[in-house]
Amino acid sequence: MDLLADVALLPGEERVTDKELIYICPFSGALKGKVFITNYRLFFKSTEAVALTLDVPLGVISRVEKMGGASSRGENSYGLDITCKDMRSLRFALKQEGHSRRDIFEILSKYAFPLSHSQPLFSYLSQEKYEENGWSIYKPLEEFRRQGLPNERWRITFINKNYELCDTYPTILAVPYRASEEDLRRVAAFRSRGRIPVLSWIQRDNQAAIARCSQPLVGMSGKRNKDDERYLELLRETNGTPKLTIFDARPSVNAVANKATGGGYEGDEYQNAELIFLDIHNIHVMRESLKKLRDIVYPTVEESHWLSSLESTHWLEHIKLVLAGAIRVADKVSGGKSVVLHCSDGWDRTAQLSSLAMLMLDSHYRTLRGFEVLIEKEWLSFGHKFASRIGHGDKNHADQDRSPIFVQFIDCVWQMTKQFPTAFEFNERLLATVLEHLYSCRFGTFLFNCESMRELNEVRSKTVSLWSYVHSSSTRYLNPFYTPESGRVLYPVASMRHLELWVSYYIRWNPRIRQQDLWL
Amino acid sequence: MFTVRPLKPTFKSYLPPLQTDVKKSLHPPVKKLEATLLPGEIVVNEVNFVRKCIGAEKSPDDLWGKLICTNFKVSFVTHEALAQPRFQVSNRLLGEHDIPLACVDQVVTVNDAKGKKKVLGSNQKLKFNPSEVILYCKDFRIVRFSFDEAGPEGAKKVCLAIAHYSRPADPQLLFGFELIGTRYLGSTEDGLNAARPTGGSQTPLFACSSDWDREIKRTGAAEWRVCSVNQGYGVSPSLPEFFVVPASLADQDLRQYAEAFSGQRLPVWCWNHPNGSALTRMADITDPLQQKRLDQRICNAIIKSHPQRGDVHKADLDKNLPSIQEVHNSLVRLRHICVMDPFEETEEKWLSSVENSQWLDYVRTFLKHSCDVVYILEGLNASVILQEEEGRDLSCVVSSLVQIMVDPHFRSLSGFQGLVQKEWVMAGHRFLDRCNHLKKSDKEESPLFLLFLDCVWQLMNQYPSAFEFTETYLALLSDSMWVPVFSTFLFNGPKHHADTMHDFLEDKKITLGEGEELCLPPVWDWSQQLSVRDQALFNNPIYVGKAAPYAHNGAVKSFRRTKHKTWSSTLRGAPPSQTGWSSTLRGTPPALARNGLQGSQGTLPRRNSLAAQLKSDLFPARDVPEGPSERFARDWFSGPADPQGLLLPQLLPSHLALWRLYFLRWVPEAVIPRGGPVTAVHAVSQLAHEIETLQSQLRRYKGPASSSSPGGGGTPRASPDGGRPPPGTPPPAAEPSRMFFKAGSLYEPSPPPPEFLSSSFPFSPVGNLCRPNLRGTPISKLLNGAKTWLSTETLAAGETA
Repeated sequence: MDLLADVALLPGEERVTDKELIYICPFSGALKGKVFITNYRLFFKSTEAVALTLDVPLGVISRVEKMGGASSRGENSYGLDITCKDMRSLRFALKQEGHSRRDIFEILSKYAFPLSHSQPLFSYLSQEKYEENGWSIYKPLEEFRRQGLPNERWRITFINKNYELCDTYPTILAVPYRASEEDLRRVAAFRSRGRIPVLSWIQRDNQAAIARCSQPLVGMSGKRNKDDERYLELLRETNGTPKLTIFDARPSVNAVANKATGGGYEGDEYQNAELIFLDIHNIHVMRESLKKLRDIVYPTVEESHWLSSLESTHWLEHIKLVLAGAIRVADKVSGGKSVVLHCSDGWDRTAQLSSLAMLMLDSHYRTLRGFEVLIEKEWLSFGHKFASRIGHGDKNHADQDRSPIFVQFIDCVWQMTKQFPTAFEFNERLLATVLEHLYSCRFGTFLFNCESMRELNEVRSKTVSLWSYVHSSSTRYLNPFYTPESGRVLYPVASMRHLELWVSYYIRWNPRIRQQDLWL
Repeated sequence: MFTVRPLKPTFKSYLPPLQTDVKKSLHPPVKKLEATLLPGEIVVNEVNFVRKCIGAEKSPDDLWGKLICTNFKVSFVTHEALAQPRFQVSNRLLGEHDIPLACVDQVVTVNDAKGKKKVLGSNQKLKFNPSEVILYCKDFRIVRFSFDEAGPEGAKKVCLAIAHYSRPADPQLLFGFELIGTRYLGSTEDGLNAARPTGGSQTPLFACSSDWDREIKRTGAAEWRVCSVNQGYGVSPSLPEFFVVPASLADQDLRQYAEAFSGQRLPVWCWNHPNGSALTRMADITDPLQQKRLDQRICNAIIKSHPQRGDVHKADLDKNLPSIQEVHNSLVRLRHICVMDPFEETEEKWLSSVENSQWLDYVRTFLKHSCDVVYILEGLNASVILQEEEGRDLSCVVSSLVQIMVDPHFRSLSGFQGLVQKEWVMAGHRFLDRCNHLKKSDKEESPLFLLFLDCVWQLMNQYPSAFEFTETYLALLSDSMWVPVFSTFLFNGPKHHADTMHDFLEDKKITLGEGEELCLPPVWDWSQQLSVRDQALFNNPIYVGKAAPYAHNGAVKSFRRTKHKTWSSTLRGAPPSQTGWSSTLRGTPPALARNGLQGSQGTLPRRNSLAAQLKSDLFPARDVPEGPSERFARDWFSGPADPQGLLLPQLLPSHLALWRLYFLRWVPEAVIPRGGPVTAVHAVSQLAHEIETLQSQLRRYKGPASSSSPGGGGTPRASPDGGRPPPGTPPPAAEPSRMFFKAGSLYEPSPPPPEFLSSSFPFSPVGNLCRPNLRGTPISKLLNGAKTWLSTETLAAGETA
């Protein structure tokens, strides 16, 4: 039996090894079959009556462990335990002869965690070709022009063209017209990692702006910085907002605690400004929450106390807080008031808030291309640390930097599409596809922590963009109910009454779910 | 039409609006206000200068008017109109602010100054002058009237009248009788005929033998016959006059057997699976001496009626399902968290509160049990007897769900309505007691019908294209239970219906002429309540149309299925008791049979535990392994679903949802402005309407010369009313559109969802949910977004304008 017949290898994908073993399916029990490993995926096909195949991109693997020892009893207790980043885990049993599992363990470790073995990620080996170049989807100047920038109040600056002002920011930034380059440098000194307040989005008719940044470096002593204060005042003046609203995404306790490490939040010294905490928890809380969610949905769905178990994961509650925060931002801005968003470093919660608020405010981002631009702009160019949060090709599964912040964002978008089924041009398959390739390492899109790193590693020239792939069959990702409505602000209801678990994503591995419900 | 100004989001805590408009309270309108009365409706009591509370404690949005209690409804008439964005489907029998007395669950009078509160019953005294009255309604609404400017005596009298008249002592006092009596005697010409046998719908009522005959033929149940032993209700007081039995049982036998059954409810046929298996239901056998013999004979007869002599399985519903009281208590809890408790305070614990209500648990249990029955019929090719003490409650739910899952006919509108007639109304479900229309005994009250509708909604939610009707239809059907005009929901069975009608005629001294019949309309005569236009709200735009008829010329066609498997061997391996099933023929020991789930301590039936022991090696990670019916379901789930074929619900608790439209429609904080599933319906309806229009145009151009438009020629052009033929065109192509939402005109992009659409559509929280503790809640937001007061009429007018 040739397994190769069952799987269409990608251009550039190469077979590494294959082996007969037993897959311990959590639903159908032990299944004999053959596993087939390439530099991109693990493929398993059962040779038994129960037809079952597994097709797992190695990128989703977070951990490979040996289970059972030479002395362990039971025929199925000696083998490998594979934990995945996408909610599932896989167990394979091998015959207890010789060192049958050593080879496969080493091969898996090497190809699943190439960076830990000084090997390239698969996206650098892929030879996939697509008609459209997804890397050109987002052109910062074009996007600013769409928003009506530059104008007499906002200017485009290239001060960061060599990533000298801030190495985690993009090269092209929009800042208040009256702020000089020197001002920007001085502000950068007072903002964590130089992430100064810059424009994310502006409303054309009333010039209300969303600016994003990191926390001010106030510290225990409560340092002040006149330049920072003046800069925010300049920002406020761009549209004459009487009071600039600063949304600090964190719970106030956390913001206070950050003072100990040199951070903090804006105090009363910032005149004509108000500070609002949005009570969104940090990356560690979100990671633990998703872990709990996984426990109640995989492999089997917790049946006897489903709703209270779901409640105790707090996953939906976190979704609610993120959405509620974004609603407050969108509400202010649509009311003509400018806002500044930050959390600690301004690359996790801040990215969630700015992108969700923009999705609510600007119908362009609800189109397929607009949504891609939104991800490229607010997440990728502004340095959401995808490499650290996802851990591409890295064996260190317990890394405290990992966190499903982007998954949470996509979940929030899904919640919005549920409440407004006609408002989005794309469908949930797109959202699931984005999440699949968030881990797969097939495309270069989500690699590395920021633009400067992607440039250094020549991502654009050496890898394929996810959007190239999406656009090669974009009709698959379109929502048939879509009714374009430009200018409409969407306010989802951030209430537990309406938030639901995205079952077709989180529970997609359960064989009791109809296959056609899946889009992958 | 509307200016687009987005509503504000819900996170704010809103301050209560400014104190009452001074001018308003000082000079309440003094114009003459009259209730609109139906024939036979009389005013019992009324009081003027009443304030209907709309928002918080006292708000300028409140309406001033007259509160009237009639023998049919609590009516509030006002000259004022709210300037609010509101869309509420209008009922022909009721005014905008009216509540039928049958819908009033509790009347609570309050005296603010004295801090007194009293729940009013019938014939009670009220020792204080009420400053306000709160009406808690059966459909989850909470309506509040304030008497601060009204005469204290008048207010008190109206409250007492509402409390008294909402508890009629006798079914004859339910308003429907007054209505038809007056219509008959006064021969009013209001277009609502009184003397009409069926009510003009296509729905089979199953009151005559021909409806049953047709159902036998449709399902190909050759070995079953309609029997008329119960004509005149001589055998059983709760079975219909005509029912279907195995052909091998003679009338003589049936008469003899009947005595042994609780309520003389003999086993009756419900429906035949295309493979010949029959679904039947029966009451418990009360005579222990006869039990075994009778069981044997009944089963033999059913086996004989099976073309392949398939086995018979008995499902003991009392043992496996929650009691009617448990279902009732569950809804009470759910109602509390949905509409009574403050919104924000319940947010944090919302999910566990829903869980604690157990409502979804019960929905799931009934669906699960129905799936098990489907498995026996479909997978084991065996017949099923649904057994229940009286066979008039739980079996109504299960038998109708089974038929909906297997037979696509029952997912059409007329099929579904016929099913409710067959399995509920004619099967003797005690609607009068379960609805508690007479408010005699709370112990008898149980929302089983609502539970059934919720189960149907779950199926609809999972298979949106499989049903001809919409969730709006289900909600409106449920609401109709509280309009005491329809024969459907007023009686405890067909005999009770006939007896009550007989007594009524006698009391009113009405002698019907030859061939004349006086009866209450069934709810299926929807034109009693809704305009033709509003009835289009029932039509599901994505319904996948009818397949070939189920049985043609007596020859049975099987349903479209992906594949057929026989599962008999798997079930036979396990002792029947543990699956909750007992195969009567094999004589299961009673001790084992009682091993099924007893009562419900917050858990659902456990699955087959023997299989667990046998297969524990194979199922290392599953704590609860699959039973045969689950394997059957899993096999079915592995293929594509056919909306016109067998449908099994996904039973994972994660896949069952709260029926938001029904339970949250009055809750202002939960409204998604211009959002919710209805916006998708809106988009597809427009598309469907466009297709309808194009098709009718095509027909016109292609059709025979006689029907083609005389002055036509040239390219087709959209007419301004959305494609209706221009004047002068002969009518054949001009069928009314099935769609409620119509495309603006052809060749143009469809308009976006209109502003009045919301997740509550076609219901509105404005004025329908005024919690006593509603202070500074987003209702004010809803009110502030205020633009137009819309009804279906003004919409229709706007469309033609």
